[in-house]
Amino acid sequence: MTTITANPSYKLEFASSPHVHSRWSTKRAMWMVVIALVPCMISAVLFYGFYQLLIMAVSVLFAVLTEAAVKYFRKREITIGDGSAVITGLLLALIVPPNFSLVFTALGAVVAIGLGKEIFGGLGFNIFNPALVGRAFLQAAFPVQITTWTVPNYAVEGVTSATPLAAFKFDKVGTEVSNMFFGNIGGSLGETSAIAVLIGGLFLVFAGVINYRVPLAMILGMVIFGGLFWLIDGTTFPDPIFQLTAGGFLFGTFFMATDWVSSPVTPKGMWIFGLGISLVLVMIRLFGGLPEGVMYAILFMNGFVPLINRYTRPTIFGEAK
Amino acid sequence: MANKVTAAKEFIKGLWDQNPVFKQVLGMCPVLAVTVSAENGIAMALATTFVLVFSSFVVSIIKNWIPSQVRIAAYILIIATFVTIVDLVMKAQFPALSKALGPFIPLIIVNCLILGRQEAFASKNSVGRAVLDALGMGTGFLIALFLLGATRELFGTGMILGFQIMPEVYEPWLIMILPAGAFLTLGLMMGFFNSYSEKKKAEERNTIVEKYRQAKRQAETKPLEAN
Amino acid sequence: MKTIIHMLVTLSVIGVISGGVLSQLSGWADPLIAEHRQRETEAAIFEVQPEAKKYEKVEDLAFDLYKVTDEEGNELGYALPYEGNGFQGKIRLMVGVTNDLGKVVGLRVLEQVETPGLGTKIVTDPSDKANPEWFPGQFNGVITSPLITVVKNAKPSKDSEIMAITGATISSKAVVDIINSGIKELRSLKGEAN
Repeated sequence: MTTITANPSYKLEFASSPHVHSRWSTKRAMWMVVIALVPCMISAVLFYGFYQLLIMAVSVLFAVLTEAAVKYFRKREITIGDGSAVITGLLLALIVPPNFSLVFTALGAVVAIGLGKEIFGGLGFNIFNPALVGRAFLQAAFPVQITTWTVPNYAVEGVTSATPLAAFKFDKVGTEVSNMFFGNIGGSLGETSAIAVLIGGLFLVFAGVINYRVPLAMILGMVIFGGLFWLIDGTTFPDPIFQLTAGGFLFGTFFMATDWVSSPVTPKGMWIFGLGISLVLVMIRLFGGLPEGVMYAILFMNGFVPLINRYTRPTIFGEAK
Repeated sequence: MANKVTAAKEFIKGLWDQNPVFKQVLGMCPVLAVTVSAENGIAMALATTFVLVFSSFVVSIIKNWIPSQVRIAAYILIIATFVTIVDLVMKAQFPALSKALGPFIPLIIVNCLILGRQEAFASKNSVGRAVLDALGMGTGFLIALFLLGATRELFGTGMILGFQIMPEVYEPWLIMILPAGAFLTLGLMMGFFNSYSEKKKAEERNTIVEKYRQAKRQAETKPLEAN
Repeated sequence: MKTIIHMLVTLSVIGVISGGVLSQLSGWADPLIAEHRQRETEAAIFEVQPEAKKYEKVEDLAFDLYKVTDEEGNELGYALPYEGNGFQGKIRLMVGVTNDLGKVVGLRVLEQVETPGLGTKIVTDPSDKANPEWFPGQFNGVITSPLITVVKNAKPSKDSEIMAITGATISSKAVVDIINSGIKELRSLKGEAN
């Protein structure tokens, strides 16, 4: 007869399926995202000055502090080391306008973490992308300040402070694609330079941190839906190349829509999610009251993620089709 | 069943333990829509309380004559009469307020708080208790609407009841006087109040358990006396 | 059968009592409500036509129009209540214009459901402590031919221009559009009359 002695240091962990395996620890992936954001941060400082670093610092600081405070008051393990709060803070800072008030930035960061993430139970439980929740709050709370765009440092003569999308929508003025590619235009801190976003985004895709499907689906969706309206009427509707490079599309594509927590987990679901964002976005941009709608489009589709996951669930082995 | 509850308790329960907004989550339409300012909240709550008290009064008087098949229709008729009275009086005497509350005064008719109290309480209790219950519920509604309205007005405009509270540098958060602000404020308030009462409940439970254990210990140490 | 009669009788009795009470009450309230409306219109007319002393409704029109005169009975112009679509719902205005319809002399917003804190600045702007009614105030003396236009983020350079509210361009434009279409209507009316 063998006696089994219980080893108190050995803990058997139970979790219900599905068991998602990844060679990435959350912590490592999160810091990879921070690295990927460096080009955007550089472009922000380059075009709008060193004050923007302050915005980023304040946003990150308040995001981390909020997370720590919530965890402390709820008597939970303080998890700020996983870097997710840092990323939320950084992402929020990169989607506010240049020279934005530091007080508002701090408020946005508190809302992003408090109402966007912790109220649902913390990382992994939030339905919506926290940084976008913070941005949406700021948009509704301070609609004037958050649409006041500072002219970039190296602005070409004649480029106004209006964003390319607003210029096109309200005054039918186009913007040169090369300016939009390098980021020499009005817009939020990190979103103006298409090339900086692309460097960071492609780095994430090739490093395996984010899946290629959502960005690809969004870009394809924009070409299809945006292109359709452009073919119907090329004078009232902008061309798809402009739509791709303008506003927060690329930034949202690579850094917002690909958020692990608030995007679908199934391959088919990712395609639906990405195409859906683009469809909603095209509708907002072309027919809505606002010039830009990446934020609302992603938040809207975030709400569908549980449903998408449920309906695109792979068939269980052995189950009748 | 109600005889064991004192009359005072019929009134007090509506203030907190069974607060119509925070605990029963009734009448959400006016709660969310008109609470852009403390003043609107108070006016709405007073109008609702008036309708509630008089409807409860009438319903509890005639409760035995109403055939149960048409009781809801009868309640609605009675409620609608009092709502129309409020609407007409407001339009005639307080036109500015009536404009601010707009279509929400006529909508009191379908406020489930009022119909709910008729069905759940006034139709089964004496006149005095029905009126006390209605007053308590109305006051609870007033407390909730004032809290919501004042909070939203404070953050959304920097003022409460038109008096500047926040310093000059304060930039109002417009979201608070938009519909989204109503949902945020109500949700957060409910969350805080619920966590508070959960805590209280847990404490009460612990003291009861503690008392029981003490009694048991005493009983065990003196088993013979118990017999 | 008995219950059916009982049901009918109960509901009828409640209905009759309720109807009786309400008809009594409305007999008292209706004249008061009408008086409030009347007083409100009157106040609005004299506000948009500050020099006017008397007014008279122009009869036989599809819409309301008031002709205003000074004490001696000289015609000063018109006060026109006119409505149109705002950002979220209807905006109702009272517009005061000169006799030749060439100039706006006053504007008052009677009803609006614009976004609080943004579009509501067409009535008052609490952030501008010195002059909270700067937006409607701009319309005093605005030339209506060519039609009024809106400029953004800049001071008006022409007599027929109005500065838009920052963040509420659509509401600002809506007000201007309502005034313009009201004036067009009056012009076509005058053209027919002459």
